[in-house]
Amino acid sequence: MNEGTGMRNGAHASEGAGMDAQGAAVIMGEAQERARRELTVDRPAIFASWALVYLIGYGAVWLSVRGQQPFHAPAGWALALLTLLALLALGVTAAVTDRAASGVGGVSALRRRVYWLSLGIGLLGEIVMQLALRDAGASRGVLSVFTASAPLLVAGVVLVAGTAAWLNWYMFGLGIWLIAVAAFSGFAGPAGVWAVDALAVGLPFLLMAAIVLARGRS
Amino acid sequence: MSEDGLDPVIHAPARLRLMVTLAALPDGDNLSFTRLQDLIGLTPGNLITHLRKLDDAGYVQTNKSGSGVNALTTVALTYNGRAALERYTAVLQQLLATAEPARPR
Repeated sequence: MNEGTGMRNGAHASEGAGMDAQGAAVIMGEAQERARRELTVDRPAIFASWALVYLIGYGAVWLSVRGQQPFHAPAGWALALLTLLALLALGVTAAVTDRAASGVGGVSALRRRVYWLSLGIGLLGEIVMQLALRDAGASRGVLSVFTASAPLLVAGVVLVAGTAAWLNWYMFGLGIWLIAVAAFSGFAGPAGVWAVDALAVGLPFLLMAAIVLARGRS
Repeated sequence: MSEDGLDPVIHAPARLRLMVTLAALPDGDNLSFTRLQDLIGLTPGNLITHLRKLDDAGYVQTNKSGSGVNALTTVALTYNGRAALERYTAVLQQLLATAEPARPR
């Protein structure tokens, strides 16, 4: 410690006089717990909300298209439900992230902005590509496979790339899983792809919500 | 070992909370003054006083940007501050370890 600090020690000593080592340890523990609770993103809420998008939203679309011969299109009510659930999940994600990140600046805030921007641009590109495929005469079946899986591919690639910034290997594993589901689920066909994506994404998200919740409580 | 071994700049309840809270952020991150105040539960005047002491010791760095309604004050733990908190924690653990056997069961 520098000389200046040493000279101030006398003035500081009285402030901590009433606090013994045990008391300091208690204060440290409380402050660490509070900081962890307040500054950490509530991931179970995010995982659970997106699990509902896939299990219920994708599940509803699958229910509306299963057995269609030839494949026609998902029912309007199913697409409306999927859109509503996706908007709700986006709202939950934004609210939960904002609560933890409020007032936090610096490198993490910059990374978060780049991450959301990448995801937004990727999803926008996916929508434009969907329109281009339709314009080029792609069949309803091809469009169904693309609509169901392409968002997973975009999210997966952004998660994997985000690992370079966060070095979060759970995020990396999740990204790889989403890419794999996006790549292979199309083989289930234009109707089956919705069921495969619903289960292959919804169930792991629900499991991750439960695991993170259990870890937080233990 | 006595409590004298603990860094007196950190060894005050409010400053200890401040240091621990700021240390919860990754390197390169900062907290706004208002969020810090909310997390620690101090009045603005008290928070300024304690931050000034930590700033004088080189443990935190405060930055002001903007003006008027856009004014923003941010606080970050410095490299020296993180190292000082690590030393403080190590000394505290030693104190607790030596005090443990003496405690009656």
